[in-house]
Amino acid sequence: MNKVKFDISYTFDAIPRLLEGAFVTLQVAILGFTLSVLLATTITVARTSLNSKIFNSILAFYISFIRGTPILVQIFLVYYVLPVFGLNLGPFTAGIIAITLNSAAFVTEILRGGLASVPIGQFEAAKSLGISGYALWRKIILPQTFITSIPPLVNEFTMVLKATALLSMITVVELMRVSQQIYSANYHPVEVLSGTFVIYFLMCFVVSRSSVFLENRFIVKRAR
Amino acid sequence: MTSNFLELKGLYKTFDNITALNNVSLNVSKGEVIFIIGPSGCGKSTLLRAVNWLTPPDKGEVWLEGNLVGSSSSKLTIKEAKLLNNLRAKMGMVFQQFNVWPHLNVLENVVRPQLVVAKRNKANAESKALKILDEVSLHNKIDEWPDHLSGGQKQRLAIARALAMDPILMLLDEPTSALDPELVGEVLIVLKRLVNNGMTMLIVTHELGFASEFGDRLLFMDGGEIIEEGSPKKILTMPKTKRLKMFLKKLDITSFKH
Ligand SMILES: Nc1ncnc2c1ncn2[C@@H]1O[C@H](COP(=O)(O)OP(=O)(O)O)[C@@H](O)[C@H]1O
Ligand SMILES: [Mg+2]
Repeated sequence: MNKVKFDISYTFDAIPRLLEGAFVTLQVAILGFTLSVLLATTITVARTSLNSKIFNSILAFYISFIRGTPILVQIFLVYYVLPVFGLNLGPFTAGIIAITLNSAAFVTEILRGGLASVPIGQFEAAKSLGISGYALWRKIILPQTFITSIPPLVNEFTMVLKATALLSMITVVELMRVSQQIYSANYHPVEVLSGTFVIYFLMCFVVSRSSVFLENRFIVKRAR
Repeated sequence: MTSNFLELKGLYKTFDNITALNNVSLNVSKGEVIFIIGPSGCGKSTLLRAVNWLTPPDKGEVWLEGNLVGSSSSKLTIKEAKLLNNLRAKMGMVFQQFNVWPHLNVLENVVRPQLVVAKRNKANAESKALKILDEVSLHNKIDEWPDHLSGGQKQRLAIARALAMDPILMLLDEPTSALDPELVGEVLIVLKRLVNNGMTMLIVTHELGFASEFGDRLLFMDGGEIIEEGSPKKILTMPKTKRLKMFLKKLDITSFKH
């Protein structure tokens, strides 16, 4: 048998299709993360304003369930459980739902920390001026919560980006799945996966750099 | 209904086992400037915060110009909540810790509540904000972030933010206590101007000189009750109760240290 040689032309040949896959990866990650932030924000506001024991126990149960089980199991569960309820949404939608439900648990915890750093006096000043309900959260409290949460939120987004590779297991044709398709046809997994590796790394790198940009934009100018 | 401008009726509030307000009643007429003094923990803040329902009392009622503030039951109806917001906007509150909003610049701090509560348009809100910021001498700081302001500037910003809502009553809870001594004066200047403009005010402070010069009435509280009340000069020079005598003695000793 011949010694396996690294032939970089297989990497270059794969790149156009890998980029198509990366585009799907970004779509899934951005959609899933956006929905997750929306869900987690709703949960955070509801938890504070309702102050209900039942709501808090359900929430604690949900968070510990998500943190205490492998994300791959969660993905398969969502994928196979939806049809049981008569929902045949396909792997892409199931994948986004799974990513959203998973990430929302972590984002809820991040926002809990961010909210804790907003002094009670910030609420009181707003209330004393007649600001309450939606405006209180939207205009006064949530902006401060999100500004202090920028670094952990950006970090969570890179986690989501990496986790999307697992969606290849339920046949979402994202970057990892595309890579598998290419190397199972050309039998050059090392060359193909090297390209995959670099693309994932570049995406995550750009995202983490954006944290610095956002912090400069929102934090540094306030506390020079 | 009542003929008084502001009326507090039988306010009562406990926290766990602590009685913060013990059957406090008070009538305030329009334009009156009332100072409140008393030892730490005697219920001064709780009293001010009951007036705008930030700390709803367990019992008792607050009436402002014939409107019931908050509710007589523990849960507010939607209508009551709406009225409460309107009444709160008329009662400017100034806190010891300023509580300016750090994510908004100076101008936005004053503009934002006008847009949200008073429903003014942006141009009107901004011109009003600029006028008031000029009155508190912050006109050259309008683009600044609150984190870059001194304590005195933050407190003047907080006062400007409240004034932009056209309040008819100001509630000030130790407005100068968190300030370095050399910054107290610039805040007092703003407050004196408010007094001279006829603003009705309830002020918790330990600035006794300020109180005796500008107060129409002075209340001494202890243990959640109003123990003595009357003209500031009279009360400060001729305290009747032992508790007030002791309190003034302690204040004197501490102010010597400055
Ligand atoms: N949110 C609260 N929870 C528990 N106890 C409180 C709370 N607010 C005030 N108290 C208590 O009520 C009493 C009166 O407090 P406060 O009105 O703040 O006094 P003052 O402003 O005169 O120093 C104090 O004993 C204080 O510890
Ligand atoms: Mg106090």
